[in-house]
Amino acid sequence: MLDWMGSDVITMLKDPVIYEALGRGLQLTLIIALVTIVLSFIFGTLLGIARFSKIPVLSQAATAYIEFVRNIPLLLILLFCYFVGGLQSRDAAIVGLTVFTSSLLAEVVRGGLNSIGTGQWEAARSQGFNYVQILRYVVLPQAVVKMIPPIVSQFVTVIKDSSFAMTIGAFELMYEGVILTGQYWKATQVITIYILIALIYFVINFTLSLLSRKLQGKLSLGRGTIGQ
Amino acid sequence: MKKKMHVLVIAFALVLSVTALVGCGAKKATTTGANGVSSDIQKIKDAGVLKVGVKVDVPNFGYKDPKTNKIDGFEIDLARQLAKRILGDESKIQLEPVTAKTRGPLLDNGQLDVVIATFTIKPERLLQWNFSDSYYTDQVGILVKKDSGITGLKDLDGKKVGVAQGATTKDAIEAEIAAQKLSIKPNYLEFATYPEINAALESGRIDAFSVDKSILTGYLSSDKVILAEGFAPQQYGIATKKGNDGITKECNTMLKEMTANGEMTTLLKKWNLK
Amino acid sequence: MGPFSLQKWQASLSNFPMLLEGLGVTLIVAATGLALAMIIGVVFGVLSSSHWKVARFFARVYVEFFQNTPLLIQVFLLYNALPLIAPKAVIPVTVVGVMGVGFYHGAYIAEVVRAGIQSIHQGQIEAALSQGFSYIQAMRHVIIPQALRVVLPPLTNQAVVLIKNTSILAVIAGGDLMYRGDSYAGSVGNYGPTYVVVGLLYFALCYPLAVLTKKLEDRSEVHGNA
Repeated sequence: MLDWMGSDVITMLKDPVIYEALGRGLQLTLIIALVTIVLSFIFGTLLGIARFSKIPVLSQAATAYIEFVRNIPLLLILLFCYFVGGLQSRDAAIVGLTVFTSSLLAEVVRGGLNSIGTGQWEAARSQGFNYVQILRYVVLPQAVVKMIPPIVSQFVTVIKDSSFAMTIGAFELMYEGVILTGQYWKATQVITIYILIALIYFVINFTLSLLSRKLQGKLSLGRGTIGQ
Repeated sequence: MKKKMHVLVIAFALVLSVTALVGCGAKKATTTGANGVSSDIQKIKDAGVLKVGVKVDVPNFGYKDPKTNKIDGFEIDLARQLAKRILGDESKIQLEPVTAKTRGPLLDNGQLDVVIATFTIKPERLLQWNFSDSYYTDQVGILVKKDSGITGLKDLDGKKVGVAQGATTKDAIEAEIAAQKLSIKPNYLEFATYPEINAALESGRIDAFSVDKSILTGYLSSDKVILAEGFAPQQYGIATKKGNDGITKECNTMLKEMTANGEMTTLLKKWNLK
Repeated sequence: MGPFSLQKWQASLSNFPMLLEGLGVTLIVAATGLALAMIIGVVFGVLSSSHWKVARFFARVYVEFFQNTPLLIQVFLLYNALPLIAPKAVIPVTVVGVMGVGFYHGAYIAEVVRAGIQSIHQGQIEAALSQGFSYIQAMRHVIIPQALRVVLPPLTNQAVVLIKNTSILAVIAGGDLMYRGDSYAGSVGNYGPTYVVVGLLYFALCYPLAVLTKKLEDRSEVHGNA
């Protein structure tokens, strides 16, 4: 009995199509995740600045955006970008994920910048640095280091959430895997494919998490860092 | 502070809707240019490529062979013919994978020029998109596990039937139930993609997978069978954005000519279709 | 007919009762899922703070697996793979949803519980006991209030994320708010207004909890962590 189950799986695993399909899917997953996190950082920074600016319209608009986006499902945002926004699958996935992630990164960026005590600003100013120079040489280097762990943790979340793009037709890892189960439909084969998919996600995310934890010292409990 | 936020958020949602309302705008009717070429065809010529939405999981119609990673099929060949007519070169096509759920929206926003993807012509769809004449007539079929004991539509009372979101299958089944005067009530479950429906059938989550027979052939395996029963003739047409009459006219001329000079028969034979 | 035309808004709103049914399913799955996640979270949170290496390892494996794999693949395993192993035990789709979010968020809550337990210094228990409190009294009046202050903000945050994650039911034909909205939208081509209405309903569920989270966060900062 065990032999019979095994031989199905072995036959399947010998087929290079499995690896090509999953490889293609993984490639798209990583591309979507990378572009998203970069765009989200840029947009999130702008959002963070807007939110804490002294101009009421800007700060209220930014806050409304952040609060709305954070309290609706990511799946809904993706579906909206695809069916109403009319973008292609991959682009809709990136835009949707960016819209969502930047609202989270806005908090992270703010937290990072805030963590640099006013004492540093005063000390630098007394040394003759102007605003921009202080940002560039004193505040940002320290802030960026502080922001890396939550950003990596958010990157892990984006990699996981990119799997939702399956529902809008993006040929990322999850979708490629499900398509394979059309060809390899036997029980043991399907389970193996699902486990393979889970393993691939796990290896990538776990590695990233370990790296991030090494950079981080302790576990912080704020809303931005315990992920989704 | 909380009240202000709520007002802002409602305002945000309304602003979204209003801009979209304004943005959707009037349909641009096609105009005929100086050289007798209608504006929608001119757009394709200017772009230099025909963007076609096709299926990638329907054997013989639009199928991406996992071994070669190329999309081929009867509908792809039709796309090539159309490109040849409009652009003079049948290789100037850009194939975009679509599903039943996604093919309409992608036409609406101009991402695709035409959709040739087992798209059934239906009265309510004619309100939303232009369709050419039919190039193939398929039937809705039912795929079940061999050991399910289901032999026909009559056995589907209370059974879970998996259908694709955005497809016309559910209505077709209901119409056939009424036509056969059966008093059965199947339980319809919708999924986003065909592979998911197939997975649900394999795991027993659903009892039957129903969609056009042509699509079902892509999911046939030794443990499943497509029931002989077929119903609701599904006429496939080439779809394009509402108002793109020039393209539709070109499609119809093409189909007429292909049928007249036997090209259509050759193509159908090539792909094992009747 | 544009994507947001008036007819579409009317059509969406006339289907509101159907959406409300979906909202009911969402609420039930969210509440049950949260309860399950809390139980799992406390169990694994305590295990991961235990003195036994084996217990800590076991908890670590659970947490790392569920935190580093997508919720979608976990749900697919439960929905499509489990019946293949145990054909007779077909779990209803809402239970799959509850298990999906329960196991997933259980891992995150375990981490929150672990942090909460570890934020209480051992010295506090000894000090309370030396003051004449019994162990139970020490727990009740000294330890638990402080632990709760630390733990409640991230917990309510997890509740918000959990409610949003119940939308995963839409992918497995689960009959929740997302599924019904999406199904209706697809069947008649009415996407824009339907999605906005669905979004506002989720927002109505989640935003109050988000506000509560912020309140709790501010309070815990004012009193200071142990």
